[in-house]
Amino acid sequence: MKIMVCLKQVPHQDARLDIDGAGTWIKEDGIKFEINSYDTYALEEALRIKDAGEAEVVVVSIGPERVTQALRTALGMGADRAVHVKDAEIQGSDALGIARVLAAVAKSESPDLILMGLMSDDGNLTAVPPMLAELVGIPHTTAGLKIERGSGTVTVDREIEGGAHEVQELKSPCLVAVQSGINQVRYASLKGIMAAKKKPLDVKSVADLGLAGKVGAGAARMKIEKLAPPPKGDRAEILKGSTDDIVKGLVGKIKELGLL
Amino acid sequence: MGSILLVAEIQGGKVREASYELASFAQRIASASGRSVASLVMGASIGAQAEELAKRGGGKVYAAESAALAQYNAEAALIAIKAAVAASGADLVLLSNTPSGWDVAPRVAAALDAGFVSDCFAVEVDGSGLVFKRRVFNGKLDATIRAAGGKVVASIQPGATAPYEGSAAGSVEKLAVSIDPASLKSRFVGIKQSEAKGVDLTKADIIVSGGRGVGDPAKFPEVIKPLADALGGAMGASRPVVDAGWLPHEYQVGSSGQVVSPKLYIACGISGAIQHLVGMKTSNYIIAINKDPDAPIFEVANLGVVGDLFEIVPALTAAVKAAKGG
Repeated sequence: MKIMVCLKQVPHQDARLDIDGAGTWIKEDGIKFEINSYDTYALEEALRIKDAGEAEVVVVSIGPERVTQALRTALGMGADRAVHVKDAEIQGSDALGIARVLAAVAKSESPDLILMGLMSDDGNLTAVPPMLAELVGIPHTTAGLKIERGSGTVTVDREIEGGAHEVQELKSPCLVAVQSGINQVRYASLKGIMAAKKKPLDVKSVADLGLAGKVGAGAARMKIEKLAPPPKGDRAEILKGSTDDIVKGLVGKIKELGLL
Repeated sequence: MGSILLVAEIQGGKVREASYELASFAQRIASASGRSVASLVMGASIGAQAEELAKRGGGKVYAAESAALAQYNAEAALIAIKAAVAASGADLVLLSNTPSGWDVAPRVAAALDAGFVSDCFAVEVDGSGLVFKRRVFNGKLDATIRAAGGKVVASIQPGATAPYEGSAAGSVEKLAVSIDPASLKSRFVGIKQSEAKGVDLTKADIIVSGGRGVGDPAKFPEVIKPLADALGGAMGASRPVVDAGWLPHEYQVGSSGQVVSPKLYIACGISGAIQHLVGMKTSNYIIAINKDPDAPIFEVANLGVVGDLFEIVPALTAAVKAAKGG
C-alpha cells in the first residue's frame, strides 16, 4: 500500500508577523519555519498505518530550499521517501496552482491513499485537499477524526458542528484531509533522524512535472492584494500597572458584574 | 454580467440561517454589479424549502431533487452544483463555510477551473471586479484577495452578516439532475452524535478557559481550575489544548465543541482563533489574559490584561477567595 502525505512548511506558530514591503505577505527573513500543524497529524496517521502493516509513506512538499528541512524531519519520523518540488516558477500560485503541482506528483506516484491536513496554519484556506482529489479523480472527505481501512474502502468519521461526527465511506484510492487532534503526533527518534539522511529525497521542477504555464503568479486567479493587522476598532480596555493593581481592577469588575 | 449562485444548505428540514446570510451578500453584490441572483436547493424532497428561499432573497431558485442528495455526499452535490451553474450562467458561486461547505466548495472550484477563496467576512465590488476579505494566520491578520477574472467560488463565514431582510422577488424552477448512485465513489453512512458530556459548559454562569499559553497539562488543575473553583464557575479549554490531549473534548469551547454565552468568560493564554471566538464571543462579559498584545482575543474582550497568566491568575484566585472571606 502506498500513502502520499502532502506537507506544507509554514511560519512557526509563534513567529513574529511583520508585513513585507509589498504589503502582500509577511517578512520571511529571520523567522522559524515548521511543518504545518494539521499536516503533522496527517503524517502521524500515515505512520500509524505503516506501523500496523505494509505501507510505503511518501512525503511531498513544495517550496524553496528550506523545505528540505521539513522533509528530513518527516523522514526522521518514519516516512520512507520524500519528493521536494522546488521551482521559482511556482511562486505566486493560488490554491488551484498548488493542487495542480500535487496532482502531477500524485499521478506519477499512484498512491492508494492521500493524506494531508485540513488547512494550513498560514493561509487557513481549506482549499487544496478537495481540489487535489478532483484533479486526480478520486473521492475525498475533510476534517477526518478517525480513519478505518476496509477492503477497497476507507471509512472516515469527520467532524461536523457541535462535536458530532458524520461517517463517510470512500472507495480507494481516495484522499482524506485530517482535522487536528485526530491522533498524538510522535517525535522523531535519534535513530530515525540518523536513518533519514540516507532516505531518498527527489527534487522535481515544474518542467519535470509538465506544468509549464499552469502554475505561478501568471496562472493564478486569486491574488492577495493586501495583508494587514485587523483594524483596532473595538479593542478591550487594557488594565495597566502592577500585578496588585491589575488584580484589584479585575476583582472590582467582577464585583460590579454581581458575581462576587 | 453573469449571475450569482448561492448554494443553500438544509438543516433540520429547513434552509439554514447561514444560507439566508448568503442571500444578503448575493443581493448586495448583485445590486452593486448588475448581476442577478440565483440559488440552488438540493435534497430528496425540497419543494417547500425552495419556495421559502424564493421569498427570502433566493432570487431564481433551482430545486434539485434526487434520493442521492438526501444526505451530504460531495460527488452528488458537485453534480447538482455544476448543473445549477450551467443553468444560471453564474460566474460567482457562494457557499457557507460549514462542514459540508468547506468540503465541497474547493472541489467545485477545481471542476469549474475557477478562482477560490474561503471563510470570507466581506465581499465587495469595485471598478476592477470582486474583492474578498478574510482572516489568515489563525485570525492574526486580515487579507484582501482580488479575483483576476473568470468564475469564482467563495465560501462565506457563517454569522458574517445578518440574514436577508429585503423583498427581492424570487421564483422556483425544477433542475433535473441525474445522479446514478452506483457511479458514486463515496457514500454517506450516518451521523454519530457527540457523547453525553460530563461537563455542560452552556449552563455555567462563569467560565475560566485556558489555551495553548497555559503550556502544560499540569497547569490546568494547578492554575486554571483553582480560579474557576474560587469563582464558582466551570473550566473550559480552547481546541489546541484538547488536540494535545491535555483535557478531554468535553472541555472544548468553540465551533466544534460547546458554544457558550456565560455572564463572565475569562480567557487565559488563548490567542483567539476564529473557531474559538465563535464559541464564546456572545458571552456577556469577556476578560482576556495573554502576553501577546496583538492576540485576536482582545478584539472580542471587554477587559484585557497583557501579561503573564502565571502571575495574574494565582494572584486573582487568592484575591477572589479573600473577597469571599475564604
